[in-house]
Amino acid sequence: MLRPSRWWLVLLAMALAAPITAQEGHPLKGSWIGVWESNTQHGNDVLMVLNWDGKRISGTINPGTDNIAIDNATLDPTGWKVHIEANAKNKQGAALRYVIDGTIQQLEMPNRAITGTWQSQSGRGKFEIRRQ
Amino acid sequence: MNRNHSSRSFATGVVGLALFLWGASAWAHHAISAKFDSTKPLDLSGVVTSVDWRNPHVHIFMNVTNRTETLNWAVELESPSLLEMDGWSKETLRPGDSIVVKGIRARDGSRQVWGEAVRDAANGIEIFAPKPKVSRAPLAPRPTPKWPDGHPALGALPGMADGYWTDPSKTALVEDGVDVKMDEYGLLANLADAAKVAPMQPWALALYRHRQERQLRDDPTYLNCKPPGGVRQYQSRLGLQFIEDRSRQRIFVLMGSGNHNYRIIYTDGRKQVGQVGGDDDNPLYFGRSTGRWEGNTLVVDTTGFNEDFWFTQGGLPHSSSLRLTERFTRPDHDTLRYEVQVDDSAAYTRNWSASWTLKWNGGAVLPAHFCQNNRP
Repeated sequence: MLRPSRWWLVLLAMALAAPITAQEGHPLKGSWIGVWESNTQHGNDVLMVLNWDGKRISGTINPGTDNIAIDNATLDPTGWKVHIEANAKNKQGAALRYVIDGTIQQLEMPNRAITGTWQSQSGRGKFEIRRQ
Repeated sequence: MNRNHSSRSFATGVVGLALFLWGASAWAHHAISAKFDSTKPLDLSGVVTSVDWRNPHVHIFMNVTNRTETLNWAVELESPSLLEMDGWSKETLRPGDSIVVKGIRARDGSRQVWGEAVRDAANGIEIFAPKPKVSRAPLAPRPTPKWPDGHPALGALPGMADGYWTDPSKTALVEDGVDVKMDEYGLLANLADAAKVAPMQPWALALYRHRQERQLRDDPTYLNCKPPGGVRQYQSRLGLQFIEDRSRQRIFVLMGSGNHNYRIIYTDGRKQVGQVGGDDDNPLYFGRSTGRWEGNTLVVDTTGFNEDFWFTQGGLPHSSSLRLTERFTRPDHDTLRYEVQVDDSAAYTRNWSASWTLKWNGGAVLPAHFCQNNRP
């Protein structure tokens, strides 16, 4: 039996194995996989699922048993700047607030990327995810 | 040259006849401007080495000799089906023919040109040239063909000569009442007009501008052979055909473009859910369509689109919330009026509408165009 913390890695592997599907609608919509470097609380690897309902960007970081709900996300199409905020808990169960700022790269590609930085009370580092 | 003057005259005559019949402008498989730069004209004179008669674009390869060397150039032309509609065949040019090509250079500086005109080098006779926009000769209005129950026939009635709808009066989606200049692929003459085209949300407008700035080169219909869903099937000279299966209360829309795709409009009163081939977990390129007659107009409601394609030439974005209400009216035998309302609150700030007409090409067979995405 896998430990709960390993389940999202299984999901990550499944997502990596899936072909990239085109996404010609809202540029953030879809599943994204990448790294938030030096994250001692939630590991280096990150999976993010984002959606757009016409008014609001919603989504989840690391969907599964250890998921982190995104409670604020914006896209500034002038320069394609992405801002994401999410509340999580650290390994001790204390509140942790993530703030991610990045820019969409290769907007026209199905496997476009978001590159930037993440930060929380526990640290900060480079952030890079790519759409699957 | 291995063709004589009379055969060339015949070819020219065929082109002229095609012009008369279709009155259409040149239409190519992809946005020419995505690959070629219209500000860089180039004339080439040389000898044909081979003709690659394949989709999506025919290529003529020719040796061009200057003072110091002989280089092989590629001349790109329209698709085989469109060239055939204009009187060409794979035998029109053969290796060894001496030709003069008037074209525009590839943006990447490679030895490729888009062929705008091809002439016989020996006598200057035009073998191929772009078709000017010529208005169709006005036909005396013929009455709309009707079924026994009084509904207009969207295609040919049994016993009538076959035909299909082509020559769309608009080839890109623009809100009715808006006047902006764009080419036949939907590329704006002035990017500053982008916001006028439709009432887009900020992200959609920025994405539309990005696609326009890249000369539509990312269009997945051409890059990846995506089907001409949404309204695209009504924007191609390759046309479409309605097959009314009245006993089963459904209408097939067959497309000359898009690898001979088709969509089905159900007219049996079914609800807009659970139709064959798609549901919420399996959105479609053509969505799910139900239709009903309002007087002489077929009103079609379509939802369930995926987001894997551009739903119009020109690159206007859409979302999976897209709902199209299409109205088909045949005011006379040779005219199909197409009206569409776009309802997509995830991409647009309000509902909006567009409309255009198509012309009946009687006695003709729907062309067959097949995309091959592993070709330049």
